[in-house]
Amino acid sequence: MPALLINGQRVDAADGATILDAARAAEIDLPTLCWYPKLPTVGNCRICVVSVEGEDKLLPACAATVAEGMRVETESAAALDARRGVLQMLLERYPADHLINGGRAEPRNEFEEYVVRYGVTPRAVAAHELSLRQGDERPGDPMISHDMSLCILCTRCVRACEDIQVVGVLDVAYRGEGAQIVVGADGDPDKAACTWCGECVRVCPTGAIFEVMPRERFGESRVAADRVVRSICPYCGVGCQIDLHVKDNEIARVTSPTFEETTPNDGSTCVKGRFGYDFTQHRDRLTKPLIRKGWVRRGGRWIWEGATGAARRGGPWQSMTEEGRGDKPAAPPRAIGKRIRDLSLLERITADVRDRATTPETWYQPFREATWDEALELVTQELTRIHADHGPDAMAVFQSAKCSNEENYLLQRLFRGAFGTNNVDHCTRLCHSTSVSAMQDALNTAAASGSMREVEEACDVIFIAGANTTETHPVFGVSLKRAHERGAFLIVADPRRTELAARADVHLQMQPGTDVALLNAMLQHILAEGLENWSFIETRTHDFDTVRKAVQPYTPERAAAITGIPAELIRAAAERYARGPNTTTIWAMGLTQHLTGHDMVTSLLNLILATGMIGRWGAAMMPVRGQNNVQGSSDMGAIPFAFPDYQAVADPANRDKFARVWGVDPKTMSLVPGLTVTEMAREGSPVKALYIMGENPIISDPDIAHAEAWFRTIEFLVVQDMFLTETARYGDVILPAASFAEKTGTFVNTERRIQLSEQAIDPPGQARADWEILVDLSNRIGIKSPFSSPADVMEEIREVAPAWAGVTYARLRGGGLQYPVPHDDHPGTAFLFADRFPTADGRALFHAVEYADPGELPDDEYPFVMNTGRMLYHWHTGTMTRRSRGLDAREPVATVEVHPDDAAELGLADGDMAKITSRRNSIVISVRMSDRVARRQIFVPFHFREAAANLLTNPVLEPHAKMAALKVTAVRLEPATVPATA
Amino acid sequence: MGYPHEPHPKETLILSKHFGDAGARSYDGWVKCGGYQALKRALAMDPADVIEIVKESGLRGRGGAGFPTGLKWSFMPKERRKPHYLCCNADESEPGTFKDREIMRWTPHALIEGCAIAQHAIQAEVCYIYIRGEFTEPIAIMQAALDEAYREGVLGGNAMGTNRRIDMYIHRGAGAYICGEETALMNSIEGRRGNPRIRPPFPAQQGVFGMPTTINNVETLVSVLPVLNEGAEWYKDLSLGNPKSTGTKLFSVCGHVRKPGNYEVTMGFPLGELVNDLCGGMRDGRTLKACIPGGSSVPILNREETEACLLDYEGCVEQGTMLGSGGVIVFDDSADMVYQIMRLARFYAHESCAQCTQCREGTAWTVRILERILRGEGEMKDLDLLLDLSEQMTGKTICVLSDSCAAPIVSGIKKFRDEFEAYITGAKQPVAALT
Ligand SMILES: Cc1cc2nc3c(=O)[nH]c(=O)nc-3n(C[C@H](O)[C@H](O)[C@H](O)COP(=O)(O)O)c2cc1C
Ligand code: SF4
Ligand code: SF4
Ligand code: FES
Repeated sequence: MPALLINGQRVDAADGATILDAARAAEIDLPTLCWYPKLPTVGNCRICVVSVEGEDKLLPACAATVAEGMRVETESAAALDARRGVLQMLLERYPADHLINGGRAEPRNEFEEYVVRYGVTPRAVAAHELSLRQGDERPGDPMISHDMSLCILCTRCVRACEDIQVVGVLDVAYRGEGAQIVVGADGDPDKAACTWCGECVRVCPTGAIFEVMPRERFGESRVAADRVVRSICPYCGVGCQIDLHVKDNEIARVTSPTFEETTPNDGSTCVKGRFGYDFTQHRDRLTKPLIRKGWVRRGGRWIWEGATGAARRGGPWQSMTEEGRGDKPAAPPRAIGKRIRDLSLLERITADVRDRATTPETWYQPFREATWDEALELVTQELTRIHADHGPDAMAVFQSAKCSNEENYLLQRLFRGAFGTNNVDHCTRLCHSTSVSAMQDALNTAAASGSMREVEEACDVIFIAGANTTETHPVFGVSLKRAHERGAFLIVADPRRTELAARADVHLQMQPGTDVALLNAMLQHILAEGLENWSFIETRTHDFDTVRKAVQPYTPERAAAITGIPAELIRAAAERYARGPNTTTIWAMGLTQHLTGHDMVTSLLNLILATGMIGRWGAAMMPVRGQNNVQGSSDMGAIPFAFPDYQAVADPANRDKFARVWGVDPKTMSLVPGLTVTEMAREGSPVKALYIMGENPIISDPDIAHAEAWFRTIEFLVVQDMFLTETARYGDVILPAASFAEKTGTFVNTERRIQLSEQAIDPPGQARADWEILVDLSNRIGIKSPFSSPADVMEEIREVAPAWAGVTYARLRGGGLQYPVPHDDHPGTAFLFADRFPTADGRALFHAVEYADPGELPDDEYPFVMNTGRMLYHWHTGTMTRRSRGLDAREPVATVEVHPDDAAELGLADGDMAKITSRRNSIVISVRMSDRVARRQIFVPFHFREAAANLLTNPVLEPHAKMAALKVTAVRLEPATVPATA
Repeated sequence: MGYPHEPHPKETLILSKHFGDAGARSYDGWVKCGGYQALKRALAMDPADVIEIVKESGLRGRGGAGFPTGLKWSFMPKERRKPHYLCCNADESEPGTFKDREIMRWTPHALIEGCAIAQHAIQAEVCYIYIRGEFTEPIAIMQAALDEAYREGVLGGNAMGTNRRIDMYIHRGAGAYICGEETALMNSIEGRRGNPRIRPPFPAQQGVFGMPTTINNVETLVSVLPVLNEGAEWYKDLSLGNPKSTGTKLFSVCGHVRKPGNYEVTMGFPLGELVNDLCGGMRDGRTLKACIPGGSSVPILNREETEACLLDYEGCVEQGTMLGSGGVIVFDDSADMVYQIMRLARFYAHESCAQCTQCREGTAWTVRILERILRGEGEMKDLDLLLDLSEQMTGKTICVLSDSCAAPIVSGIKKFRDEFEAYITGAKQPVAALT
């Protein structure tokens, strides 16, 4: 710990600290331009220079390390002179005429602040001897643009792109005064693989690189925010912390906090987090409750006087099925009967974007606006009536992985407490339900064992099975890339050559759905080589012998025959995996959304346990959760078999405890696990009244046609949402809900981190926060809910959820808390299972699994295997991202990825329309040739209602968790012609 | 012999002894000249002892900075836990400097031998010889010699039959002066943009590919041969001026002298004698006006200083300049110093890697002002602005390229102010075309 004197003040610095570190720690301010937290230090701007006794030159504080006894003067005449010199030289190429206004200078950015602080007077641009700087400027870009005359060449953007995001789109080109920032080799960010994450925007000290939307609104001056509010990104399970800059009750800009060490994102976001916020301002937002027109109030009761039968829930719109068939509105008449490729570019574009996902006017026609009182009265009346008429089994609720913990808690509380039903579930069913069932069987747990940051910090081998992390969890994906850059060995098992697969040291490109064969074979080889972890197996697990026997027949050769992966690669991957020393295992939908998803995860867990790759810092088990609160809503009991904190509903003691806290008679509550999402919405289900909060199952659930048919038959449907979604069209009552920015609440990310998101703006019109609606409704229905804020709800949660006992809003500010947090002083838990598992005797259980076919296999009629999933720029059913201008501009149309050779065989080219037909339905979609997919496989993102992938998918259910097999559908692919319009 | 001229009796021919003798280029020829004896000696010694001898000899770097070579080698880790590297700096792009080029053209095996000795001393299996890209002929000669050295077993897995690995690769530069700066050179070898790196970390800790690295100039490395062949004492005695400067040095003389070329003299040799005797003095009717003794990057000397200057590290400093790379640029009374200085500034402005603010903007701004003065559009206060800019460009940047630009400007304005003023006042006709 060297001690030094800075400006006469004694400062104790850490070993290896720079003068800048030491000064800042002692709250001595130093100017910096090129230095930025977490970027490699390059020391090029030279503004941070300081005088050090005994040195004949000034030293850059950002790069010079401290030494014992050093005497530093930060404000010496020489240092000040050098700083002014730097600013003066930069100003000679910078348009700062606005700063020459008789001392009333308004600095617009970090750099100009220094100009003003050091009293440097710029010369008028007209008098400059050097020309303004140039560079690539991304003209017309929907999200990021440049004004390179403002660039001071600090290269923060270059390093942010290269070293934080590991992309390398930006660089310095040319030399001398011609040096400038360029985008890729030719100015095209797309060709340079830009991901529009906006890291460059974040770090640029002058606004030379800026966000388009705020610039359009505020011009070159700064966004003078009324306030800045800490929030949590509403998209994926990484749970990035973001700051919302609010101006006139609108989000004007999103930035991310930099200095907190503990945030999951360390100041980064992906494109969605930084640019996908304008959906909150979209004109489609619901501002008043809607009631289906047939409902009328007579004599103090609501009665249905509208149409009956199939027409009851109809409207002037067509069903998704018909839309999917391709009768799209407003196709340009010129295009009739032509193939898309024969059209001019302009026509092609109009044909493609003719039905962007804004809510069509006609969708509102079956509804009338209502007051909250009317709407909630009707909901209360009908839910109570159906409960009385048909019993608890007729009641069901789809909760939401996009709503807060408090909201999810309140909703299951209402249905369990007031209606005595466990028909409570949410989209986790279609996400990690098979992971949960497998992890419950093996470890009695339902969440990741470790933290995201440990991968970058401490792991030697990363094994990713079926996760396209760089697109679906971009900020985590980027930290994986950084881990790989610093030397971690990367193994990716994926049928697609995703970005991570392409950069992996070993890519195991298997036939879709054959993972069990691969994973069993890896274990077989590990055992054959004696690389298993015997002491772990002996002291921490049971039943290894059954697995040892079961995997014996799975030689790498046999697995090669099933999976199509060369046996050598399987061996190599297995050996690296087992040798670690610290191997982290990451998986997502590629493993779970299969008919055999539970078995796939089980075989992966066997691998983890046999090698002991769990319970150490660096050896983590990481199922990456999809939605921003899919972990939290499961934690809050939005699952049919458990109360909050995974307390089984079947256990009478649990029931009694919750009944007491909720003030209901335990006998009215059910001890039987309820139906899953996939079981509720299908023919023959007992459900008559359904309450949906913030989900859009018509687009997200398999076999849309059948789901729609079921929705038409339901007795009463309430949808609480921001928009009139495809699902809400069938509703009786639509309750307008607040967006993430319009309410306060907590969310749990994929590493069990509970984080607080605070209200930044007011909801539009009469829209209300989901928790407010639920408190109101609960009180009306008769389950007492004396909560006046989400913090009140949290107080009850920590009373009933042992792992949350130490959670309070005050403690959550900052980095949040990783549960378990068993008491008020507990710091949270970064990783679990260091010495025991949460099973009865603390040991994990092995379960032998056998390979089985992934369900629907291709044949002559349906020769392709269709895989579905997400893409970087869109989110789930597109309700938010397709209403975000920048995101939608990046991916405006539904596309199918087709291998170039398959495309050539079928006579398809980029941009052509193709028809995909499965045993159930067909869609028309635009072709994108890509060798990311293997031959005879295609990939269809499910975000697009006009080409909804789930029209095609197979509604068969995985037996353990009732997961749908969304990853494997046999389909036919053929060129489509533009359909004739009426 | 300072090829192409006949050797002058006042020269001391050690490094340049075989210049002009094509026979010394081949392996056999080099062995006949007594080549590879030094390497054999070195390989029989402990690396630490080799370093000790070089330290003893007083040999200092010939690339510009004059850092003691043995000391530099001793900074390398004593034990080889990671790969060590040697980089031979053959980028020679300093205006007025062309000595390394001749070493490589005539005695390529001397360089290979020198590199191999250094590699042994610092325990580096691999050496990159980074040669200026425009040196097409020297590159071809070096490559041929390297191939020969591999064939003859000098290099490779069993170098000189010692069962040790010594490998060398030629890396061609791509036309950037800055890549001669040692850390930019390493970036360039790694395939990155040739930007100098901040120090620390120093190359001996983290050099090329992040591994301990030593970088030496071509002339430095070939100077190791006489040290090993004749002994440190013998080498140390080669010193006419200050005992801290030992050995011989090649001076590339260019400009307004009768006989430009490379001259090898003992350290401490008088600059006036080099210019007036060895190089035959000025052309008829001309007189000496100024001289830059150490490549373009050092302060300019006027006539008196030139005649008083002793050519060694200390002697140059005494006259307010530096020995640098030993590129001697001579100006007679016909030279337009303002124009010459503008040309130098243009060179640095063009070659700036553009990282540091002062260098990127300062060099360019300096050029603009000088051009303005030459066009007759200058003002007296421009001279202060130039000095201000030079002050900002000195001692404040990552590498010394920016200082190098400032050096001739500051010394030029100081010593030839009247020439600047003549343009400003209109006493001198503006320059019509600034080429
Ligand atoms: C801008 C710049 C250019 C340089 N160019 C060369 C060069 O072309 N050749 C060279 O040997 N050294 C050059 N140097 C010096 C090297 O950085 C380094 O000091 C030298 O190669 C060390 O070798 P030595 O110790 O053997 O002299 C240059 C330095 C700077 C700052
Ligand atoms: S664009 Fe901004 S961040 Fe990039 S070099 Fe220029 S000033 Fe720095
Ligand atoms: S001084 Fe000039 S050449 Fe040297 S690093 Fe800085 S900008 Fe590059
Ligand atoms: S902040 Fe230290 S040199 Fe730029």
